[in-house]
Amino acid sequence: MKDPSRIYRWLLLVASVVTIVYLVGAAVRENYLAQWRTVQHEYRNILREKATDDRGRELLAKFRVEMKQTTIPALGTVDRCVTCHNGIDDPRMTDMPQPHRTHPGHILDKHPVDRFGCTVCHHGQGAAMSFNEAKAEDVFWDYPLLPPELTESTCVTCHDAERLPPDQIPLLTVGMRLYREKSCGSCHKLGGRGGSLGPALDNEGAKTKHQLIMTNLKPPHTTWSWQNAHFRDPGGVVPDSLMRNPTVTRQEALALTAYMLSQWKRDVPESYLAPDKIEQKYRALHPAPLAGEEVYRGYCTACHGNGTYTRWDKKFNRFIPAIRGVSLISTATREYLRANIEQGRPGTQMPAWGSHAGGLLPEEITGVVEYLRSGAPAVPAMTALTLHGDDSNGLSLFLKNCAGCHGMNGRGGMAPEIGNPVFQQAATDEFIIRTIRNGRIGTAMPAFQRNDAPAFSDQDIADVLAYLRTLGEPKAQKAMAQRVTSRTPPGGKP
Amino acid sequence: MAETATREFLHNLHDLPQTVKDSCFRLGKAPESEREESQATFHNLFLHIHSVRVHVRTLKPTLTFGLGLMATASFLITIITGVLLMVYYKPSTDLAYQSIKDIHFTVSTGRFIRNIHRWSAQLMVLVVLLHMARVFFTASYKKPREFNWLIGLALLVLTLALSFTGYLLPWDQLAYWAITIGSNIANSPRELTDAIGITRFFDPGGFQKRLLLGANYVGQDALIRFYVLHVFVLPLALVTLLGVHFWRIRKDGGLAKPEDPPGGLAEWGGEKRPVFQPLATKTYGLMALVKGKRAPVNRGPENTVMSWPHLFWAELSVFMVTVAVTLILAFYSDAPLKELANAAIPENPAKAPWYFLGLQELVSYSAFMGGMLIPMIVLVGLALIPFLDRRPGGEGTWFGTSHERSVFWQSIFFACAVTVGMLAFTVNYGWLRNWFPNIHQLWIIAINPGSLFVLIFAAWSIFILKRKDSVRLSAVSLFTCFLVGFTLLTYFATVHRGPNWHFYWWPSQWPVH
Amino acid sequence: MSRLDPPHVSRRSFLSLVSLGSFFAALGTAAAGIFRLPNPAVLPGPVRRFKLGPPEQFSAGSETAFAEQNLVLFRDDEGFYAISSTCTHLGCTVARSKDGFACPCHGSRFNSKGSVVGGPAPRPLPWLEVSRSANGDLVVNADNEVPEGTRYRV
Repeated sequence: MKDPSRIYRWLLLVASVVTIVYLVGAAVRENYLAQWRTVQHEYRNILREKATDDRGRELLAKFRVEMKQTTIPALGTVDRCVTCHNGIDDPRMTDMPQPHRTHPGHILDKHPVDRFGCTVCHHGQGAAMSFNEAKAEDVFWDYPLLPPELTESTCVTCHDAERLPPDQIPLLTVGMRLYREKSCGSCHKLGGRGGSLGPALDNEGAKTKHQLIMTNLKPPHTTWSWQNAHFRDPGGVVPDSLMRNPTVTRQEALALTAYMLSQWKRDVPESYLAPDKIEQKYRALHPAPLAGEEVYRGYCTACHGNGTYTRWDKKFNRFIPAIRGVSLISTATREYLRANIEQGRPGTQMPAWGSHAGGLLPEEITGVVEYLRSGAPAVPAMTALTLHGDDSNGLSLFLKNCAGCHGMNGRGGMAPEIGNPVFQQAATDEFIIRTIRNGRIGTAMPAFQRNDAPAFSDQDIADVLAYLRTLGEPKAQKAMAQRVTSRTPPGGKP
Repeated sequence: MAETATREFLHNLHDLPQTVKDSCFRLGKAPESEREESQATFHNLFLHIHSVRVHVRTLKPTLTFGLGLMATASFLITIITGVLLMVYYKPSTDLAYQSIKDIHFTVSTGRFIRNIHRWSAQLMVLVVLLHMARVFFTASYKKPREFNWLIGLALLVLTLALSFTGYLLPWDQLAYWAITIGSNIANSPRELTDAIGITRFFDPGGFQKRLLLGANYVGQDALIRFYVLHVFVLPLALVTLLGVHFWRIRKDGGLAKPEDPPGGLAEWGGEKRPVFQPLATKTYGLMALVKGKRAPVNRGPENTVMSWPHLFWAELSVFMVTVAVTLILAFYSDAPLKELANAAIPENPAKAPWYFLGLQELVSYSAFMGGMLIPMIVLVGLALIPFLDRRPGGEGTWFGTSHERSVFWQSIFFACAVTVGMLAFTVNYGWLRNWFPNIHQLWIIAINPGSLFVLIFAAWSIFILKRKDSVRLSAVSLFTCFLVGFTLLTYFATVHRGPNWHFYWWPSQWPVH
Repeated sequence: MSRLDPPHVSRRSFLSLVSLGSFFAALGTAAAGIFRLPNPAVLPGPVRRFKLGPPEQFSAGSETAFAEQNLVLFRDDEGFYAISSTCTHLGCTVARSKDGFACPCHGSRFNSKGSVVGGPAPRPLPWLEVSRSANGDLVVNADNEVPEGTRYRV
């Protein structure tokens, strides 16, 4: 009779042998082949070579091949970097190759490893036990190891970048300056101040790679390589980005990248904060007003340039007015300028800049208004227009002469909206009359009452004005509001 | 007298090793006679659930492929490795992820044990499904095994629930978003109650979700609930039902087998004798402790062999094969662990484990139909099989009744065509909402690719019922259709669904993000 | 049959023995791995290195108890030393008594230098390593013992 269980005995034998082989294999892999063991054996040899005095011999005798870690409960980190970087605080290791080398500079004097750990500054996966996983560029980890030159961006977690010595944070220093020079604040909010065309940048450094579009980027797909490439060519990294190319050099792009990475509202215990950081936090709550020209440079120039010329913007698909141009400044009142800055110009890309929106202080807006008007010539007083306008005639004149650019009902087209409440309330009759009479130099707005060939009589102007004012009436406003809400907001992707 | 007591004490001391050994190993040697082999079986708590003799067919590898045993073995492995992982795992949203990282990086053997846990769990799901298919296609659910089929179904559900609850514990992105999706499937009856406007009065969906999460978001409360379910409630339930499952096998007369042909010959001590035919009216008690006549001695064989050692060799070897397979998988492939759970950034695509991906594809049409109703229908349908197909025949034989194999192949072909066609159609042309954006949700729930699969498969099985005039064949066609549908949907969702649940020919084409 | 002939082992039972043996060997290997797991490969928790403040705040001849850190810092004419207040018997925290330390749990008594003067404690209270941090604060490393009598001079 054939033995019915013979096959099972063979099976048991084979399976058991396979099991033993794999168990032993796993044990060998874990206990003998781990990268960190090799590193520590190497380090022990180095210690042996350097054990020339008592201290050296003591260090050698104390050295054990074992996992090492720095636990910092206050920061919530467990960093095992010191398992391989054994010589990090041993001054004799300065000339050793990595990972045995001493930490460069004097950073560790004030930032001892057992109080700060490693990842709070360098990022990377502190829990990892191999370099590849610690570097964490292609593994599942939100914050991979920062390249050495960008590590300075984490200093601002506990320090005020303005108070650190510039030679300690070379990139950040340049980055902060460029941010102002390139007028990034025209479109981006930072610390509650700035435009609203682009995304706010307050927590830009905390972003993970999954929050950024990596499709058009060559590997490695890290946040800083994204930032770097984006500063070199925004449209190439994010298709249909509204952001104009900041035209920066390679080094400047890196500096801006460092500055962006430093924007991270990270919660660290107060005991870790440098005194200047606490001061900085206080200052952020009570900002000192900037002078008008500084505000203009930081928050206006990205769109308006120096403000003395009008230009056609392809991305916005409209004219950007010369807000320091003589013809506007000589016509517009302070109140008109102020209202347009505080509340923005609905229907255009111009956002509101009042303290509730763009974060500018009232005195800063006053400063900007004065700065805008600083080049204004003395304007002769206008003879008052006493004629009574007829709005129905005004309507037909408007349709013939104005609606082509300003749109039906003044809803705007190539030319600005003149039906919206901000304009209606801010623009005085005098401002409107002057503008119709003299046109706006440097824009497509013609003069309708030039001395040589007057297109409008004074009565015509009065009629048009009367019609324009009907646009500000509640009924027309309601229609306007409905239209505004049903329209897609200006702007789009960053 | 005192002297005798001292002697006795010294004597006992001298004999101590032998007496301890005798009390622990009562037989004291490998059993040699069939009588001793019987005793080895029924004097041992763990072995006595087996009968003393088993039919030779039971030991034939191609009858069962050892699938049930493999499922048990992988369950045992998950229990052992699971207890080990509990030593280091911390069920807290703050600590869970780091503790898994610690297990992975620093705990001795931790990484390997976690891999084993993961792979044996995956293997268990796969093997349980295959085991069910085996039982079905060998018609082993038929009388008197209907009840055990139901127990088996309960075990299948428990297995899936164990997998699902274990999924949240690492607290990584995959966990967080898979459970977010899963808990909202529990919430999906709202799709129906909202559509007919009774959610305010009757909200089973919201109730289920709250019960699962203990909150209206996936957080600490959900984690601790899933943990308790995963390490205590569900394993306890599974072990209990597993005991019943085994006990029923014994009570139902071992594995299902065809009747030995009357008048056939079987071997008995080197000679051929007519096969013993038990009488239906008599009870044949092993130890003659029950009423009735004892089995007639020397009357004839039953084509059986002793369980000790043959059955135990088989069981041991299947157990060890499972261990070996799990170890090989665990050695080469690490259990995944994504980024720390982040409620702000959804995982894209947030894919469930493979065995839920078929469901996830259905859920992408309608959460309620795909996530609740169809699984319900399938479970109820499976439960009804032994009660609707009651004609004996084919037990213990693969495709035992006539025409079964051809119906099986026809159904495979049919289901493949239907599933592939429907998926291709949906991918190319979209579904109702794409054509009629304002359509009422009730239509979407009622008519979607998932519900159409069910209807078409049901129609096919009715067609088979009429044409072949056999309930069994109709059941075979339906079961096969669902098996094929499940397999293809699982494959489709695994390979061809990418970010935003868009169709891709291959995962390498997924956009970088 | 000569005595040199190998004992007769039937092929069947030889296979049984080998397969059963390999099964138990596999089980043993697995058990060895399993029993390694509960032993932590690296101890969790931070280094117990306590900053106790600038040395000037401790006058000569003073002793200062740090309850949270479980140590007592002494300064005498020769310098600083720190003594752990964890009893060497079974780990209770000792209390300062009139002329030394007393353990409330099993009655061990130590003199003010930590030497055992009574009770079950098997060895003196450990003296801990004293050093200074970069900014000049005194630092006691409770993970490092130093020989009795070691002083740290400022």
